[in-house]
Amino acid sequence: MAEFALKARAPLDGYARTFGTISLAEEAGLSLVSAAVPQGGDDALAAALAAGLGAARPATGDSALCDRYGARLLGMQPDQMFILFEAPDPDRAAETVGDALGPAAYVTDQSDSWAMLRIAGAGARAALERICMLDLDAAAFPEGRVARTVMEHLAVIILRDGTDRFLLMSPRSSARSFLHAVEVSIGNTAG
Amino acid sequence: MIIDHPLLGPRDAQEFVILGDASLIDRPDWQAEDAAQQFHDYQHLRDNPAGEHRELWFHEQGDRSWLVVTRSTLTHEVLKVELARDVAIARGRNR
Repeated sequence: MAEFALKARAPLDGYARTFGTISLAEEAGLSLVSAAVPQGGDDALAAALAAGLGAARPATGDSALCDRYGARLLGMQPDQMFILFEAPDPDRAAETVGDALGPAAYVTDQSDSWAMLRIAGAGARAALERICMLDLDAAAFPEGRVARTVMEHLAVIILRDGTDRFLLMSPRSSARSFLHAVEVSIGNTAG
Repeated sequence: MIIDHPLLGPRDAQEFVILGDASLIDRPDWQAEDAAQQFHDYQHLRDNPAGEHRELWFHEQGDRSWLVVTRSTLTHEVLKVELARDVAIARGRNR
């Protein structure tokens, strides 16, 4: 019988392009794990986060950096957060978080469901302003803020992790359409 | 229309879906003697005011929270936004 080997393929095939001062590139090496809080388990989760990941739980809309794994906790909604990190073994990202938090959270690996785009450089905010309804001014959306919203009718999670740096996550199934929307918006604003 | 989310600040109404009258929070007791009548009223009888109205909205493209939005059906002015969870707990529900 023939031997088959499966190879991992990034949602946007490792897309990377520069538009003047703006760079737009797929972020393919990160794992994303959701952690839901059992009902009434807020205190247990706070303790597990401090012990297991070395972090405090971020409020909804905020993020927090962890001492372990260089992970970032994203406060997505009142009873759920996402953990964004470079997993030592990407095939066991949920287990890694599960081992760190124990029964204090229900974890699910979401890495393969999302396409991640990094947009950076002077003009990145101006390009996003055309498609993002949120106020991305540094006063309203400072570094470390995260939000789930819509751009061009597509669901997007936007994280600001630098003055001119944003991480955009959109469902893998519509990743190409999302990439097109961002490319067009950059083309409309740059130069 | 902008909805001033209690946790996230002002968000465009495009991110939300509306369910309807906030009285849907008060689900009748299914074991009551007149449960059938109560559920009939709960399901079908709604006020349809021209003016201030309390409605359930779901922040689907956001933090997935249910909100009770008080708005004017005449002007679309949003007068008050609360988390539905807080409203339900204040009315004696456990969650």
